[in-house]
Amino acid sequence: MTILCVRFQLPPMYEAALPQLLGLLEEFTPVVEALPPDGALADLGGAERYFGRDAVELASVIRVRALAHFGVDCVIGAGPGPMLARIALRAARPGLTCAVPEDAVAEFLADRPVAVLPGVGAATARTLCEYGLDTLGRVAAAPLSTLQRLVGAKAGRELHEKANGIDRGRVVPNAVSRSLATDRPFERDELDPERHRRALLSAAEEIGARLRAVDKVCRTLTLTVRYADRSATTRSRTLAEPTAHSAALAKAVYGMYDALGLQRARVRAIALRAEGLTPAEQASHQLTFDPADERIRRIEEVADRARAKFGPRAVMPGRLAA
Amino acid sequence: MPGFTHLHTVSGFSLRHGASHPERLAERAFERGMDALALTDRDTLAGTVRFAKACARAGVRPLFGVNLAVAPAATASEAGPAHQDRRRRTPVRGGAFIDESTPRVTYLARDGARGWADLCRLVTAAHRHPDTPVLTWGDNHADGLTVLLGPGSDVGRALAAGRPDRAARLLAPWREAYGDDLRLEAVWHGRTGTGPGSLRLAARTVGFAAEQGVRPVLSNAVRYADPGQGRVADVLDAARRLVPIDPAKELDSGEAWLKGAGAMREAAERIVEAAGYRREAALRLLEQTQAAAAECLVDPEDDLGIGTVHFPEPHLVGADRRSAQRVLASRAAAGMVLRGYAGRRAYWERMHEELDIIAHHGFASYFLTVAQVVDDVRKMGIRVAARGSGAGSLVNHLLGIAHADPVEHRLLMERFLSRERVVLPDIDIDVESARRLEVYRAIIGRFGAERVATVAMPETYRVRHAIRDVGAALSLDPAEIDRLAKSFPHIRARDARAALQELPELKALAAEKERYGPLWELVEALDALPRGVAMHPCGVLLSDASLLSRTPVMPTSGEGFPMAQFDKDDVEDLGLLKLDVLGVRMQSAMAHAVAEVKRASGAEVDLDALPPGDPATYGLIRSAETLGCFQIESPGQRDLVGRLQPATFHDLVVDISLFRPGPVAADMVRPFIEARHGRAPVRYPHPDLEGPLKETYGVVVFHEQIIHIVDIMTGCGRGEADRVRRGLSDPESQGRIRFWFAQHAAARGYDTETIQRTWEIIEAFGSYGFCKAHAVAFAVPTYQSAWLKAHHPAAFYAGLLTHDPGMYPKRLLLADARRRGVPILPLDVNKSGVAHRIELVSESSSSSRLSREVWGLRLALFDVHNISEAEARRIEDGQPYSSLLDFWERARPSRPLAQRLAQVGALDAFGANRRDLQLHLTELHRGARGKGGGGGQLPLSGGRRTASAGLPDLSAEERLSAELGVLSMDASRNLMDDHRTFLDELGVVSARRLREARHGETVLVAGAKAATQTPPIRSGRRVIFTTLDDGTGLVDLAFFDDSHDACAHTVFHSWLLLVRGVVQRRGPRSVSVVGAAAWNLAELAELRREQGLEGVAARLAGAPGTGPAADGGAPPDDGQGAARGRLAGSDGLPAPAGSAAQDRMDHHRSRTIRMPTGYEMHPWADLRPAGQEPSQTRKLWHQSPGSAG
Repeated sequence: MTILCVRFQLPPMYEAALPQLLGLLEEFTPVVEALPPDGALADLGGAERYFGRDAVELASVIRVRALAHFGVDCVIGAGPGPMLARIALRAARPGLTCAVPEDAVAEFLADRPVAVLPGVGAATARTLCEYGLDTLGRVAAAPLSTLQRLVGAKAGRELHEKANGIDRGRVVPNAVSRSLATDRPFERDELDPERHRRALLSAAEEIGARLRAVDKVCRTLTLTVRYADRSATTRSRTLAEPTAHSAALAKAVYGMYDALGLQRARVRAIALRAEGLTPAEQASHQLTFDPADERIRRIEEVADRARAKFGPRAVMPGRLAA
Repeated sequence: MPGFTHLHTVSGFSLRHGASHPERLAERAFERGMDALALTDRDTLAGTVRFAKACARAGVRPLFGVNLAVAPAATASEAGPAHQDRRRRTPVRGGAFIDESTPRVTYLARDGARGWADLCRLVTAAHRHPDTPVLTWGDNHADGLTVLLGPGSDVGRALAAGRPDRAARLLAPWREAYGDDLRLEAVWHGRTGTGPGSLRLAARTVGFAAEQGVRPVLSNAVRYADPGQGRVADVLDAARRLVPIDPAKELDSGEAWLKGAGAMREAAERIVEAAGYRREAALRLLEQTQAAAAECLVDPEDDLGIGTVHFPEPHLVGADRRSAQRVLASRAAAGMVLRGYAGRRAYWERMHEELDIIAHHGFASYFLTVAQVVDDVRKMGIRVAARGSGAGSLVNHLLGIAHADPVEHRLLMERFLSRERVVLPDIDIDVESARRLEVYRAIIGRFGAERVATVAMPETYRVRHAIRDVGAALSLDPAEIDRLAKSFPHIRARDARAALQELPELKALAAEKERYGPLWELVEALDALPRGVAMHPCGVLLSDASLLSRTPVMPTSGEGFPMAQFDKDDVEDLGLLKLDVLGVRMQSAMAHAVAEVKRASGAEVDLDALPPGDPATYGLIRSAETLGCFQIESPGQRDLVGRLQPATFHDLVVDISLFRPGPVAADMVRPFIEARHGRAPVRYPHPDLEGPLKETYGVVVFHEQIIHIVDIMTGCGRGEADRVRRGLSDPESQGRIRFWFAQHAAARGYDTETIQRTWEIIEAFGSYGFCKAHAVAFAVPTYQSAWLKAHHPAAFYAGLLTHDPGMYPKRLLLADARRRGVPILPLDVNKSGVAHRIELVSESSSSSRLSREVWGLRLALFDVHNISEAEARRIEDGQPYSSLLDFWERARPSRPLAQRLAQVGALDAFGANRRDLQLHLTELHRGARGKGGGGGQLPLSGGRRTASAGLPDLSAEERLSAELGVLSMDASRNLMDDHRTFLDELGVVSARRLREARHGETVLVAGAKAATQTPPIRSGRRVIFTTLDDGTGLVDLAFFDDSHDACAHTVFHSWLLLVRGVVQRRGPRSVSVVGAAAWNLAELAELRREQGLEGVAARLAGAPGTGPAADGGAPPDDGQGAARGRLAGSDGLPAPAGSAAQDRMDHHRSRTIRMPTGYEMHPWADLRPAGQEPSQTRKLWHQSPGSAG
């Protein structure tokens, strides 16, 4: 029982606070893996001996510290492996750490719905439920070949192992927040493409600014459009070259939006997420003979400096100023 | 000062555009001093008749017109709107915008009948365009019309765009087509800019008119009668365009109301000044408008043809050489011989008498027309029967239109048609519902599409739709809208706020009603506005070849039948001959049953020649287990049948007549039952009246009896007596009739007391009796269906389930079949047909009734959720299948369908468990799509059996859930069986044991809700009647006012109920329960499973009926308990035939609806109640995560 899975109860917009909270975990163990936007995995293998407490007691300490230092509550699951810790997290509440007993993993898993397994998404869960494999116990009991027929050879084998409590995962330290997200809700059902585009532009500007602030570039943009009936459409686009420049991001976002061809759809919110973040210095940039691109980038640089000095609303595109 | 006439006014008949009813517009026009008013609805003339009548009442001259979308002339499109070619990307969500870009033009009928005919032709032509009605330029010509080119026309748009040159070019074709009849319409709604409704556009229009030499007129493009209704117009716009209201966009100006002459003159002055003329020019503009109005002379009576009758031409009904009357006479005589009445004098006399009356009115063509239709239908092998008062005519019987012999059943011709009666007679025919459209096609084929049209039926806003549309317009959460709409019963939209205040089941909602802002006000404003138009389910217009110049016709959406835009009342006012062809599902069901018997056993059953008085049939009826039998299956009827104990056909006729709101209200039921069972003496007001009253033990039941009584007492003749009877329902004429009756009866020598007593009877029952001819026509299929249920139960249920008649969900019929010992055979792709079938089940030796062969009911493929007709047909055609692979390859089911079939066990014959089958199907599907499945080859073991894949099989509960989800029926066993142990713990009385319960005993009952009603009852209160099915039988429940606060919400919104109540017993077969408390059994069962009996106890300790979240509800106090006790002791009948005791605490009294003759109705009675219909329930009480689907 060495792995903790921690989820901080952060308001959605405060992703930026995560690195500090990770720092808190790193006081206990160097092996911390960030799970953006609000979680982390920590391997307490050495810490238990060092602090002389078991994982559950350490979890209480972590919670108290998070509350004391940052005023942020957290939920913690503990288990012998990362997967089990994650599953335990689902059963945990603030103040009640759920721990998977090492010797009774199968019993612990047996009654859980299949969807709790990492890697089992809505589609796989639906498939499994259709065939009566709604709990992990039943999945574990099903023949491997049948599982492979259901979800494919590799996924079937992994599913079979996971359902039987075999956790091959490891906690991989990474300090990098791997994605950034922002959300633009509308007050009423919004159909006007002009206002949609303004929301898209402002989201792209924000993502760009935040990326540049931490010297990162992103490889993929994901656009999620939420509708009044609570359904959503999601589109992803991998950029030709990783970038943090607002103009390039906005162009990609517009492209995704136009492909939706929305007319009467009642849009309630537009969310934009930048994924695949890598350090900016590793990014390549295709130079062109067109001076326009170069100029835009230089303006952006200047604008960033102006914003740093006079606040985020000091410089913005004309379309958003109205 | 000249008056003003609005030439451009739309009513609510302009779907989701106009916000006022035509009546309101006419009234307002009168109030604001206008002499005339035009109605120019969009794409329709449907409001014409109501408008004409309202105008006649208000004393305003009506002008008729229409506003149509017109495709631009070919020459005008040279500058071609290029954007039409550019195809927009298909939206991934939400659908495309509604295209309203076609220019609109207003046409007014000018020259009498010719103008009207032109209007009809234009509207009909516009509706010929696919999708939306658009008038093509080729059809755009007429001599009798005035044309207004307003801001919405192509010319107006060019002006708005600041292109007078283009406007002039676009005007040219209009000038060519209409010459001097063209007007340019200026509209000012106080808008800015140059768009429609702006001052600048109005001024440009006037200036352009002067420049082009076209006369301008002023209009206000009226959309609503009163100021302040702009918000309603916004909602309607949103509902039409299917988008929410966007406050940032241009909303309705609020000016498009029916402004008075003064306001319009001011508008005229502003416009001419803006156009650069002197102020006096305004007068000329107004004069031009008045002149245009004065030219439009269409008289509603003469030109619309109100009050004249047009029958199909005689040669179409076999009377081309002789007159129609002669043909009718000879056909009737032939019928006499054919039916063996030739030797009976009374029949001949009656026939001649009737023929004389028909000749008097000149209706012979009509009778021949109906006879022709009936003959054609019968030739197609479709069951057909006449219903209604037409069954009282011997001529109808002789022509083969009506079944029952009117002389034998003592039916009167006068109830149907007499010399004194001037209205069109009305013959309705019932045909098999499943083949109704075939009948329509046959009629159209016989008389030609230019003479036949179906009748429209406007669908109007009621509260649920109004909430949905307003909510969507106001950007409410769709889930929230759905919840709001479903919590209301099906009431009028205008009662929304009153209902919130008064109905107990809406209490929770009322508490939070402020949250929704203007929603309720807007909902009420939409009340009764048409929101769509559908084909009337039975009316067919038959006319001569001039139909299309008198009626605008549009194609129906599904079948493309020609449909007149008028509804059934309009059609009568217009003197169009309407034949009601009703599709009766019971007729289809019986036809299917007979066909099944023949297919399976070879036995021929002729339902029309059944032996009368079959003891088994009447035994069944007397047992009151008449579920599925025509007309006698409702809870109230089952109760009545149980008390009445019918033994003859005549008893059935009486039974059906008694179970009407009228007789129930007039309390005719109790005296009749008492007299029938000899508990009360039979009394007649006078010995002379024994003749007509004897058959019903001195109680007046039939209209015919009133006719007889009045005839006997006054000697006025039966035709006159029928007129008198009709007059009874009107309080005013009732007074006159009373005087007249007393005078004439006294003259015939009856004493005052007799006259007084007779009058009391006439007054009380006169307008509410039932037409015996109707009842006889109803009783025939009643007897036939009961006979089938008694003798061929399996086939009977097969027919019922196939055609789904009646008021109960299918699963209840299935439960009834199971109770009556009909084996239910599961769905099987090798045995099931498209429709339900019967199968001989080999008698098991354990059965005690060895001698009888047992027929079972095989479930049908078409009951599978979302199966298509073609798929079901393909499966049936390919039978038998040797293996799963064989089935897959030859029946080619879609994947979801195959999965559903596997879930309900239709593929069990192929081996393996149902989940394994599903897996195999998925792989077959993958293989078929060429993607290469995981297994590749279908693993087969033992040749044709499918191999096991080791998946867990469906549990018993999952199977039941799958059956409910896929078939909407619990096919393998009753779903209540699962709760049996819990119910035993609670000590719930089963329906079977309830029959032995004492009167007044307090019991617990439980079951699945089968039907809920709040019918009108005599005391004017609201009573909720519910029928529960618990697997052993049915329990009929009644909830009175005092329990509504606690129970109504639970009863309406739960599917499984546990009810505490008091037993009511009024006869050996008549048992019901008066409910006092109700719980959602599904919730209790869930608690039992999760928290044990303690949890259940905690829930029961809370307030009954309320959810755990709303524990604040007060339990019923002792006072109410006392009231309940009183009710239980009264002789009230908890059925629609109720005489529930008057409750002095009744606070609803003030809002009862008083009918003309004193019958009081609760305002919320007689509505489809809140919540979802039980028949639509597809889900089990809960769905385990592993359940199918």
